[in-house]
Amino acid sequence: MIRKDSLLYKLTQLHWFLLLTIIALAMFGTLVLFSAGSSAHDLATGLLHIDASYAIAHATRFLLMLGVAIVVALLPLRLWAAVAYPAYIAGVAMLVMVDFGGVVVNGAERWLQVLPGFRLQPSEFMKLAVPLALARYYHQSFSAGRNSLWIHMVAFLMVAVPVALVLRQPDLGTALMILGTGCAVIFFAGISLRVVGGILLLIALMVPVVYFFALHDYQRQRIETMFDPEADPLGAGYQLQQGLIAVGSGGVAGKGFMEGAQKQLDYIPEQHTDFIFTIVAEEFGFVGAGVMLVAWGVALIQGMQIAGNSRSTFGGLAAAGFVSTLLLYVVINIGMVIGLLPVVGIPLPLISYGGTVIVTVMIGFGLLMAVHLNRANDMTLRGLF
Amino acid sequence: MSRDWRNQFPSRRNMFLVGGGVVFLGLTARLAELQLFRQAEFETKAREIRIRLEPAPPHRGTIYDRTGRVLAGSKRNFYVTIRPELAGDRTQIIDVIDRLSRLIPLAESKKRSVIQEATTGPRFRDILVADDLTWEEFAQVNVMSPELSGVSAEVGELRSYPLQAAFYHTIGYVQKANEADIARMSEIELKAANESLESPAGKARAAALRRLYRHPAMRVGKSGIEAFGEVELKGEPGKIRMLQNAGGRVIDRLPSDDLAGDPGADVVLSIDAELQNYAISRFGAEAGSAVVIDVATGEVVCMMSTPAPDPNAFVSGIGSSLFKSLQTDERNPLYHKAYDGVYPPGSTFKIVVAAAALESGAMKPEDTVPCPGKAWYYNRFYNCWRPEGHGTVNLHTGIQKSCDCYFYRAAERTGIEAIADVAKRFGLGHRYELGLTGGKSGSVPNDAWKRKVIGEQWYAGDTISAGIGQGYVTATPFQLAVMCARIAGGDKTPDPHVIVSGMKVPDNSITPMGQFKPGVLEAVRAGMFGVTSEPGGTALRFGALDEKNELPAPYTGARMAGKSGSAQVRVISAAERDSRGRAIANDKLPWKLRDHALFVAFAPTDKPRYAVAVVVEHGGSGSSVAAPFARDILAHALKYDTGARKPFAPQQREVAGSEVKPT
Repeated sequence: MIRKDSLLYKLTQLHWFLLLTIIALAMFGTLVLFSAGSSAHDLATGLLHIDASYAIAHATRFLLMLGVAIVVALLPLRLWAAVAYPAYIAGVAMLVMVDFGGVVVNGAERWLQVLPGFRLQPSEFMKLAVPLALARYYHQSFSAGRNSLWIHMVAFLMVAVPVALVLRQPDLGTALMILGTGCAVIFFAGISLRVVGGILLLIALMVPVVYFFALHDYQRQRIETMFDPEADPLGAGYQLQQGLIAVGSGGVAGKGFMEGAQKQLDYIPEQHTDFIFTIVAEEFGFVGAGVMLVAWGVALIQGMQIAGNSRSTFGGLAAAGFVSTLLLYVVINIGMVIGLLPVVGIPLPLISYGGTVIVTVMIGFGLLMAVHLNRANDMTLRGLF
Repeated sequence: MSRDWRNQFPSRRNMFLVGGGVVFLGLTARLAELQLFRQAEFETKAREIRIRLEPAPPHRGTIYDRTGRVLAGSKRNFYVTIRPELAGDRTQIIDVIDRLSRLIPLAESKKRSVIQEATTGPRFRDILVADDLTWEEFAQVNVMSPELSGVSAEVGELRSYPLQAAFYHTIGYVQKANEADIARMSEIELKAANESLESPAGKARAAALRRLYRHPAMRVGKSGIEAFGEVELKGEPGKIRMLQNAGGRVIDRLPSDDLAGDPGADVVLSIDAELQNYAISRFGAEAGSAVVIDVATGEVVCMMSTPAPDPNAFVSGIGSSLFKSLQTDERNPLYHKAYDGVYPPGSTFKIVVAAAALESGAMKPEDTVPCPGKAWYYNRFYNCWRPEGHGTVNLHTGIQKSCDCYFYRAAERTGIEAIADVAKRFGLGHRYELGLTGGKSGSVPNDAWKRKVIGEQWYAGDTISAGIGQGYVTATPFQLAVMCARIAGGDKTPDPHVIVSGMKVPDNSITPMGQFKPGVLEAVRAGMFGVTSEPGGTALRFGALDEKNELPAPYTGARMAGKSGSAQVRVISAAERDSRGRAIANDKLPWKLRDHALFVAFAPTDKPRYAVAVVVEHGGSGSSVAAPFARDILAHALKYDTGARKPFAPQQREVAGSEVKPT
């Protein structure tokens, strides 16, 4: 008989269905990245051309982070509650430091040189730190019996500060994601729907004001481009236009694995990162893209079930917050590629090439599985810093 | 412990999931729109955007000589271009050109001009950096091209002139088109298509023409037949499908046979390259020209001007120092002496005066004139070339001995108007349209001409000078050949022409010779026979073309009949004459001041087939310098009798788009 607190028992109790969904998505991502580097009929030679370097790097990173995720899942949930506030404060501090200097700039991404050879992207870090901090805040507030509109306003302030700092970088995509995640946590924490309705109305009124006075020119241009990508086919609308051509020419069943033509012509910048969905849609068609969306839907529903099954406020809200983050990732990425949303630099988790997003997402999945393992534990967070 | 959020969670979760579901459905709907309903549209766009249509320079028509020998053909050309928009900014362009110059030979001046063009002109155009490269150089650039941004190594065609200098003046050469060439060509093509530059169709035509001539592999005819026949030789440009990536870099050429243009027309000349080469080699180091006309057909079988530069040196742009040396050379290699060179015809004009005198009835063949060595007209003496005099001279001996005194009198009696009339009937004073650029008319003076050109009335003394081909009379070697052909062939002689097929050369301005009174041409021909074949003739030594009886059947033992001439290039002052009144011998004068030596002749004497005019610049005496050239050229023409065989007829080619003809 295996003891219930042994490591082995815990492993058997992992949410294997969610884990398999993740593995399936990551394997699909590896396949797509293999195709991104390769071609069945190379334009120069007409022969099979294979470059698996993206796929190998992606698979390696995923396996490494899968281990990390399982470790995160097996560690006590209380530990993550304990680090929530320090992580949030450290994150805000780093965002401030990014604002003042010590920065490595790469486009709109702002990195912080923590130590020589070790860089951190504080805005990415905040995607996890904000829901954790909010979950802990609500957990402790509800434990103390406080349940007024005020605690939601404090919570919103906790969201607004990092969002404002990230906007200053300026990184509209990440700011929107942090804002969305934070608002989702507040929503799940039970804020009155009337208040939500009122705020939505207010936002609707504010949109024109923000559009004309608060946005940078390039951000406005991206939005304009989205509505009319052909107005400037060689400028801002270029990437989008080429992406649409790749997606549209894929048709129902796609052109087939490694048969995509657009990728060989270097037409789509960032095709192996933010625009990876163009390869999915071109080579696997409407059917392939639909299957991938279904897989993501399954992952999200499972995440929400985990959140609902958690007895602790911290676990439930943290899980719900992370699931919201995932939804935002997927919707914003695909939405921008197919011309429904402005082009912001948001990758497609588990599919896109790149180290940062896989770290964030896999730690998030680890937390989700930790919440699942600790679902019966109605934690008390008394005595934590 | 509040249970509020927990109670609400299922409903909130459902709201979230429904919201998420709606958003996913929205994404799916958009995907369906793009992939299911608009697939065809994007499919087309995917193709369009990758394939760029570029003008493909057509295969330029080949120019053949009458035997089918290629005079101007196309050879395979490896060339390198740079596209500024892909190469980058000024410093990057300079860097790329610098690195390129380590792979291929690139002169400093060429480097500078390429950089100049690449940094100031339109950035989307390919600029020619170097052409006529070897396969090794081409391959090296090709291998290195990924590291030379904007540079591409291409294969095309380049004009080549296998006979080099021999046809520089007649055929001319091609070069990269400049703005003036493009303007000229679009004017011609718009006129031919009857479109105005303002109309949309005209604008499109002009723009397409500009794109074509801007193509790095395209050349335009700059002179000679290449320039005159540009429209026919050029052909119709086709298009070529280029597969390109987003950066505009050409990845591959796709099959484009269906878009191939039409090759230019092949042009056949009446000139026999073999005879032309022989004439040039016969001249050796002398400067001058020779024109041979087939009396029976009017075909020009030789039309050479020597010395001449190699037209191949011009095709890829000639170096300025070489060009300067050609320009300043006192032998005028750039000058088409046969067609553009006007010379006083000297004594060769005496046959015109003789014909005019007989035609007008001013002289009868048997009328005699005394020659004491000089003659008194209008208060001055006119010298005969032979101070001792020729005694009593008639028409026959006057031509034979080239007696000046006889022709002073003949001219005085005939009058300038009748002389001018006959000169024109012989083809002088008229620019022939042969299908090449240039061409001079020379001058056949009379009273009206002098009033118009000089602004003075005609003096009686002018007629005396004109009688021996001095004064205002000038003619080109080509015209002298026409004159000789007409005298030899009579009024049935066909009009002279150089283009046999491939080009339209309309010339309705040729005045027919018309019939002379019976016996006029015969008497002149007899006099010319006397020059070369009767004792006392000035060119008696050179009359026999076939001393060893080696020529083929009808020409065995042929002789030529001709007339020599020496044209003064300076006024001979009294100081330059010796005590006996003889001018200083030519070989004691500097080259530039010596007389031009002229000789016109036809052969065989009984049934003339070929007429020749030879001008040796500053050669000295026509009878001793030009006559042997004329003899040898005529002998050569008779030996091979090229005019008797039909000119080459090139095969009709279907499509020659990118075909490379071996040269």
